[in-house]
Amino acid sequence: MKQEDNVSVAPGEAVGVVAAQSIGEPGTQMVLRTFHTAGITSVVTTKGLPRIIEIVDARKRPKFPIMRIWPEKEIAKRYEKVREIWRKVEEVKTSAVISNFEEDLKAGTMLLHLDREKMGLYELSAKTIISKISKKEGTDASMAGDDIIKVKYKAKSVEATRKAFVEILGMAIVGIKGIIKANVQQADDGSFYITTSGSNMEEVINVEGVDKDMLYSNDIFEVYRVYGIEAARNIIAYELTEVIKDEGFTVSQRHIALVADGMTFTGKIKSIGRHGVAGEKESVFARAAYEETVKHFTNASFFGERDMLKGVAENIIIGKQIGLGTGLVKLEVKKEDLKKIKPKND
Amino acid sequence: MADEQRCAVYLDGRVIGYVKDGAAFAEEVRTNRRTGVVSGEINVAYIKGLNEVHINADRGRVRKPYIVVEKGQSKMTDELKEKLKNKEIDYNYLVRRGIIEYLDAEEEEEIRAAVDTKSINRHTTHLEIDPAAMFGLTFSTSVFPEYNQVGRHPVSANFIKQSQGLYAVNFNNRYDARAYLLYYPQLPIVNSTTYRTLNINRHPSGQNFVIALATYYGYNMKDGFVLNRGAIDRGLGRSLFYRTYSDEERRYPGGQQDHFKIPAATTEGYLGEHAYSKLSEDGIIEQELPVAEGDVLIGKVSPPRFLEEQTSFGIGEERNRDNSVTLRSGEEGIVDSVMLSETTGATKTVKVRVRNIKIPEIGDKFASRHGQKGVAALIVDEKDMPFTKDGIRPDILLDPLAFPSRMTLGQMLETLAGKAGSLGGKFFDGTPFSGEGRARVDEYGKILEGFGFDKFGDEVLYDGRTGKKFEARVFTGIVYFNRLLHMVSTKLQVRSRGPVQILTHQPTEGKPRKGGLRFGEMERDALVGYGASLLIKDRMLDQSDKADVWVCRECGDIGYYDYVKNVAVCPVDPGATLEKVEISYAFKLLLDEIKSLHILPRIKMKSE
Repeated sequence: MKQEDNVSVAPGEAVGVVAAQSIGEPGTQMVLRTFHTAGITSVVTTKGLPRIIEIVDARKRPKFPIMRIWPEKEIAKRYEKVREIWRKVEEVKTSAVISNFEEDLKAGTMLLHLDREKMGLYELSAKTIISKISKKEGTDASMAGDDIIKVKYKAKSVEATRKAFVEILGMAIVGIKGIIKANVQQADDGSFYITTSGSNMEEVINVEGVDKDMLYSNDIFEVYRVYGIEAARNIIAYELTEVIKDEGFTVSQRHIALVADGMTFTGKIKSIGRHGVAGEKESVFARAAYEETVKHFTNASFFGERDMLKGVAENIIIGKQIGLGTGLVKLEVKKEDLKKIKPKND
Repeated sequence: MADEQRCAVYLDGRVIGYVKDGAAFAEEVRTNRRTGVVSGEINVAYIKGLNEVHINADRGRVRKPYIVVEKGQSKMTDELKEKLKNKEIDYNYLVRRGIIEYLDAEEEEEIRAAVDTKSINRHTTHLEIDPAAMFGLTFSTSVFPEYNQVGRHPVSANFIKQSQGLYAVNFNNRYDARAYLLYYPQLPIVNSTTYRTLNINRHPSGQNFVIALATYYGYNMKDGFVLNRGAIDRGLGRSLFYRTYSDEERRYPGGQQDHFKIPAATTEGYLGEHAYSKLSEDGIIEQELPVAEGDVLIGKVSPPRFLEEQTSFGIGEERNRDNSVTLRSGEEGIVDSVMLSETTGATKTVKVRVRNIKIPEIGDKFASRHGQKGVAALIVDEKDMPFTKDGIRPDILLDPLAFPSRMTLGQMLETLAGKAGSLGGKFFDGTPFSGEGRARVDEYGKILEGFGFDKFGDEVLYDGRTGKKFEARVFTGIVYFNRLLHMVSTKLQVRSRGPVQILTHQPTEGKPRKGGLRFGEMERDALVGYGASLLIKDRMLDQSDKADVWVCRECGDIGYYDYVKNVAVCPVDPGATLEKVEISYAFKLLLDEIKSLHILPRIKMKSE
């Protein structure tokens, strides 16, 4: 017998139920309250049960998306190089580098009073700001005094001018949209990496010096879009594992993998619940037993659906032996074989 | 409009004005209250965080008395204490003079209360009258709480509330829906000042048990304990259970009314002659008659619910309904008393009180006053109980492991005090925070030694079954135990067969309906996970709502069996052949409900 036969699952084992119970049981002990730790460098994320619900429900965007950006091997230990990536990544809006602004909507001008201290923090010059603002169509920016930038915008209405000014103030001077905050951190081996709150894989992956194989985001759908379904499956499994580990519980990797596989095996990310896995079951009875009973029956009647009564839920409803475990096997004997059996003579 | 500088004053939750300095204003009100300018029932609190003054004068506030402390000096001077002792002044004098004042929850929030005179410092504003005053009425019956772990106190208070005792002296004249009465209630050997002051000692709710912290062949593990049958036979923990059944002759619109009488055999819902056999002529049971399950206590006949009730033979004759009161299922007893009276609506009412003696049995619950509960796990003949050199056999054997994790050292101390008290023939005081632990152990130890016992309460025990000496010495003593009102005889229920619900054909739920225990979703999932497919079928179908249903081979609809012609009939095509199918009745019901949605479900069968 091969070693792997010892660990393979027996036929008829209810792996799904066991997985659900194995993840659900520690779930009952987790606190629903999330604790937010205060601090500058630490990145805020959802933790505990709310995060598990977030993953399993396949929410389009996590409440607190985060990223981990690793630089390429050659520059990983050089702080300045990593810092350079950081500067390209963190989103700095116009409003973040000015102390205040004055607008004259009739004339279509806005005066931006620069904050040198904040500019120094992001290593920005007035020139880059001007060139960035000027890129917007119809805008003209120039220096008007020591720390003042004058922005001109030609528009037909006051309303449009105002809209444009708001846009300019919220414009990213440097960095990538959606990366609210980024920090450079050092790993145990001395190499540097960047953690961010806010996630935007599509653009970060194109930044020079970023290790594309190591890029991490907790936004499952973003990973799916950028790296594909296999990566998304891995992220689901990894995130679940991390959350459960964080709370101090241990759940076998097999159960988590089953959940991740179940959510992704169709090539798309499906939630576990009404709109996903449970709502797409083949059997009418199984769907109706879960949620929205009447809706499922009426829809089934429209399409003349046929329930083959193969699953567990249906068979329990009608009162038949379920086709799992001991119900999987059947004993069949050929009639001619019966004749071969001879009574023993003692 | 209030600006930042001003402080709003609320009276019973409503703004009545503004002051400049809230704290000073609150202090002024307080001074006026103490000097009697304003009523002593007013409470005032300055809330710093909100910069608001809350004055409360409404009803329903719980208030607690404190001694006022001013400039680090208690206003309750020695001189006053002396006067109080000589009865020159009374408690009300102290309240009137502002020496003792009552505080509510809001005002209490801001005070600095000292527990005793020694701990008064310059910040102190109030002094506890007595440290024991911090506990409520229920908990005041407990002793030595300061030696127990904090978490046990609420548990203990809960158990005390559930204890059986002498709840009222006029119990014989009362018709409580349920009442428990302990046969020989005793005063606790160890009690407290509050206990004596409140006169609870005239309504005791427990007995002094001789306990030993010993195992007994593994029968008193966890919270189980071993009881001495000899002690039970002598009346330990014995109690009475009263239940009152009541009914009245109701009047109905149309001039009809109920009648108390033995129903005629033609009455609808007649329970059979036997059930009414114990009733006297007036249809009400006699006193001191033993009654059992199914016996009628009050025979009552009600008029028909609907006039001209339709029967299969057209309009039939009016039949009265039997509306008798029967003894609760699973109960028995003796009719204690019968009371006839009239309601304010001038209708006759009857109250029948049934009494039953509850002798402690396996499964009954007891608890000490320290949150240590237990269930009788074994009742041992007296001859088999362990005994001391003096021939003392404990009433109860507790598991020693009940103590390390729960840390109720108060019970340890009570064991010692109870033993010393019973030997010395006196009561001991266990008022909270009234003494020092070591001094107490020394005091009790001295008494014990004087009577030739070990000063720490340990004793050499001999096995009652073998007569052999136990190697370890066993901690024995006397602890006050309460018998709690959870008794197996009122709870025990089993079912193998029984009534089912009309709608679903599934077993009923709950003890009064002789119900089964629900095999729920999670239980089902556990079996699915284990793969025990036939066990699921057994629970969900065979032992629940199995039904044989005839299904048409042609149209897949459900038919019926015509027992007159001895054939199964399909309602759509009477000539079609039908097949007998075993399904759960709930599924048949589901199909019917789907039909009510104008959806026709069809069952297609494969022949095997």
